[in-house]
Amino acid sequence: MEERKYAAYLCKGCGIGEVVKMADLSKVATREAKIPLVKEHDCLCSPEGLEMIRQDIANEGVNCLLIAACSPRVKFEEFDFPGCIIERAGLRELVAWTQDPEHKETQPLAEDYIRMYGAKIKKTDLPEPFKHEEEQSKIILVIGGGAAGLSAALFAARNNYEVILVEKEAQLGGYGAKLHRATPTSYPYTQLQEPPVLAKIKEVEAEPGVRVLLNSQVTKMEGQPGLLDVTISSNGNEESIRIGSVVMAAGWKPYDATKLEKFSYGASPDIITSLEMEEMAKKGRIARPSDGKVPNTVAFVLCAGQRDPEHLPYCSDICCASSLKQALYVRQANPDAAAMVLYKDIRIPGQLELFYKEAQSDPGVMLTKAEVTGVTPAPGGVLRIAAKDTLLGENVVFEADMVVLATGMVPVTAEDPVLQLEYRQGPGLPDLDLFNGFADSNFICFPYETRRTGIYAAGGVRQAMGMAMAMDDGVGAALKAIQAIDHDLAGMALHPRAWDETFPDPIMQRCTQCKRCTEECPFGAIDEDEKGTPFFRINRCRRCGTCMGACPERIINFKDFSVDIIGSMLKSLDVPTEDDIEDDEEVPMRILGLVCENDAYPALDAVALHKLNLNPQVRFLPLRCMGSFNLVWVSDAFSRGVDGMILLGCKYGDDYQCHFAKGSELCAYRMTKLSETLDKLGLESDRVQLYQVAISDFDKLPKIIDDFVKRVEEVGPNPFKGM
Amino acid sequence: MAGETLIKPDLQFVKRIVAAGGDTAKKCYQCDTCDVVCNLSPDERPFPRKEMLMAQWGLKDVLKDPDIWLCHQCSDCTVHCPRGARPGEVLGVLRQMCIEQYAFPSILARLVGDIKFLPALIAMPVVLLLGWLYVLGMIGLKVKEHVGGAVNTFAHKGIAIPAGEKIVFSKLFPTLWAVDLIFVPAFFFAVGVLGLGVMRYWKDLNEANPWKVKLQGGCAGNLIAVVKDILWHNRFRECTTTFGRALNHLLLVFGFIFLGIVTSWGFLREWVIHFDSPYTLLWPPDPLKWLALLGTGLLIFGIYRIYQSRLENAETAGYGSYFDWQLIYLIAAVGLTGALSWFFRLLGSPTLAYPTYFLHLVTIFCLFFFAPYTKIAHLVYRTTAMLYARMSDRGF
Repeated sequence: MEERKYAAYLCKGCGIGEVVKMADLSKVATREAKIPLVKEHDCLCSPEGLEMIRQDIANEGVNCLLIAACSPRVKFEEFDFPGCIIERAGLRELVAWTQDPEHKETQPLAEDYIRMYGAKIKKTDLPEPFKHEEEQSKIILVIGGGAAGLSAALFAARNNYEVILVEKEAQLGGYGAKLHRATPTSYPYTQLQEPPVLAKIKEVEAEPGVRVLLNSQVTKMEGQPGLLDVTISSNGNEESIRIGSVVMAAGWKPYDATKLEKFSYGASPDIITSLEMEEMAKKGRIARPSDGKVPNTVAFVLCAGQRDPEHLPYCSDICCASSLKQALYVRQANPDAAAMVLYKDIRIPGQLELFYKEAQSDPGVMLTKAEVTGVTPAPGGVLRIAAKDTLLGENVVFEADMVVLATGMVPVTAEDPVLQLEYRQGPGLPDLDLFNGFADSNFICFPYETRRTGIYAAGGVRQAMGMAMAMDDGVGAALKAIQAIDHDLAGMALHPRAWDETFPDPIMQRCTQCKRCTEECPFGAIDEDEKGTPFFRINRCRRCGTCMGACPERIINFKDFSVDIIGSMLKSLDVPTEDDIEDDEEVPMRILGLVCENDAYPALDAVALHKLNLNPQVRFLPLRCMGSFNLVWVSDAFSRGVDGMILLGCKYGDDYQCHFAKGSELCAYRMTKLSETLDKLGLESDRVQLYQVAISDFDKLPKIIDDFVKRVEEVGPNPFKGM
Repeated sequence: MAGETLIKPDLQFVKRIVAAGGDTAKKCYQCDTCDVVCNLSPDERPFPRKEMLMAQWGLKDVLKDPDIWLCHQCSDCTVHCPRGARPGEVLGVLRQMCIEQYAFPSILARLVGDIKFLPALIAMPVVLLLGWLYVLGMIGLKVKEHVGGAVNTFAHKGIAIPAGEKIVFSKLFPTLWAVDLIFVPAFFFAVGVLGLGVMRYWKDLNEANPWKVKLQGGCAGNLIAVVKDILWHNRFRECTTTFGRALNHLLLVFGFIFLGIVTSWGFLREWVIHFDSPYTLLWPPDPLKWLALLGTGLLIFGIYRIYQSRLENAETAGYGSYFDWQLIYLIAAVGLTGALSWFFRLLGSPTLAYPTYFLHLVTIFCLFFFAPYTKIAHLVYRTTAMLYARMSDRGF
């Protein structure tokens, strides 16, 4: 920006004018924040207010706007002035709606926000999207040709994205194509049908935009989305293709039934798995493998290993419905046969409930809850199934001609990284152990995300699911893959900062090759050379700023977010000392709240919407992620005389809610180092605390904050105050 | 493992339950709502959930489960069932099968329970009574002169109506030896078959011993308590959805009790005191006559209310099976033909009175003779089951 012209606009609407003395606020903006043009308006977001701003931009050449009105999370369309730097101080939420107008600390609070954002706007620059020198690929790679992969490939191709579909087997379809019949996928959800994946195979084969590679596997992936060089081995030949983004639909394998010792798999040929039952049905004859007789009684053991901490701790989603389906195979093969379905709980997702009702209404399909304790071959060729805690009695025995073990789904990622990434942090997805090997994530509401940007998981590899859901999953992941390509081309970030055109821009001359950024980046976005010099793969980056928080040299900056910008904001605070206060009054505390803008900041807005009170001695400052918290801010703040710092981040651990997966956890890790530093300085470690806050915790926030302030008050004022 | 029970599902039994109207049993998914909403179900091992499961698996032992008789089919469970499994109706079907199981010969019970055989069942007493009339010389293929002398209006059709100004039913069937000779054996046949059934049932209950308890107290004392409970319908009145049914049923029961008293009294007079009918209504007022009228009134009103409430509740509680309706129509027929016979007699119309009386006898015969096979057998099986439940401390 060649010449920066600043203006501050103070809104009096929504109750701000009644709580804050606007004339004093204007003075602070002019004299302290040094903004030459300051205007007040009764309702800044009204057409007149916006027109006033537009006139200033046109006539006065204003291009840096400090808007002191409502939260930046609202009215962003109204206060969008292209080509201008906009900073917004949320006076409405943080002051007008959460403070007592009579309290003497209310006005200083509003004034501090003007100082902070006045300091910030001086240092913020307009972002320029990152441009790669090489041309980016728009090809989508789909790994896996099962229901999810086929559906993803088809959807992407029909939206004019070139697709390469890699299938390791000799034919498409995955397990879906191995089925005799499938559970219903359409109304009235009562009739067995042809596996829907068969139609998808035909569609994909007829789709010119999809290049299918059978007997193929990915052996290497290097680079970054848009510039991802993928080596595919097909029938012994290797081929390298540059890819834009990836849908990982590598699917699942059935659990190894031989591990289920109590069910005696292998002890009798008549104890089979669901998959073997399916093969048998596909051959057209349900018969006992031992003697070829059509069975009169078949027992289905559901949860054969699933929901068992010793085997698979999770539910496999499809086994209840598919066992009911196979019970109907038995009934169709022999109208006098009884199919006994022994379940832990019947779990029938979605509309399949109707199929459950239908199957149950067959007189020969008999169901009971049961904890099957053992299957043993008995004399006379029958199999004895012992069960406890059944609805039919506490200890019961069933006799059957055949036993079908409904074994569960194991994601292929449990044993194989599949992706074969040449990334600094390893070949596969991190965190798989949190999800029993599934390529799932805790990205709330964003199911296909992984911690490898531009790579989206779908279908059975992501979660245990049936064919219909896998197909929906494929579409979802394909949409994300398309978004990844388009955003990479535009130089924009992806979820959760999908609008963001800034990117980390390190000053490499000052790098000490400490490798903290390459190790800590939650998305493995930073590779390094042999010496350990990091190089940023911008298309893998989510712009959380974790590297910025990690960097001891503070060399990593974004155009509108840097260690210096935040430092300047907290140094701009007016910290009253004893000299400023009349004798009989206590010096008010000055406490900084560093707030994650994904969950904790919206929670503060919710506090305001509910008109709850926030402590007036705390100044809140949003961070992209707690992962960007740099320890230098602590010394900046305490040297300024601030009495305490409260950090509000997301829940971390196995059930994390961090939008950047590791941010709040890394922040907590850094805090452990912090207490040592504070102790050395002679400051109490209680002065800096991290709290885990969910977006729904707004009702608890005022108390959390008040309790923290009380604790700091007990510790006493910062001894460096006024120095 | 000790104490293991072998579960042997019986598909044919399931199919029989389904065919008898228990098709909704298969819909049950064992959520246990029924047990919770039932006011009659005990806290320990409540019903009807477990009976629903046994029905689904075709476990015949369900018929030895006295709990099926503790249900008065008030339909609270049916109304609240989230799956439309209608546990109340399924228990009704199981009770029917229980009657069938213990009736001797059970083939007759099967016939009674099947609408296809209804004409044959009605034809049986008609033929029997017509044959009896033929033997008595009251009926013939040719026109015949009769005791009274005058030629009857129906004579050309082969049926003779007794002549005389006054209509005296005993002219058609002399009470002492014509009516009683058929009905007394029929009654004792029913009592015998029911008694046999109850004995077998009691034995099975003790053998199956579903709750694994020792029976408490003596039969006689407990039976008195149970009968008291039945007389006042204490348990029946705990039902919510079809509360009115208890009252209707009570009216009917008292109708039957009064008529039973009247019949025994009449029987006593005829056979012991040799005091023949007619019993006078107005002067001198014969209490027996009044009791008979009261009983008839209660019976007709009660059965009418039952009929009506079944229609009203059909949507929530279910319409009921053939087995249910058979008894309702039979009792209605008994009451109506009885009342009409009296009415036509007072009207002085022999052409109406005598055939109606004939029909009345047919219906009475059906009621008596088929009692061990129709729903009326619930009288003894329910009492037995309630006695067993009471003695095994099932909460009442």
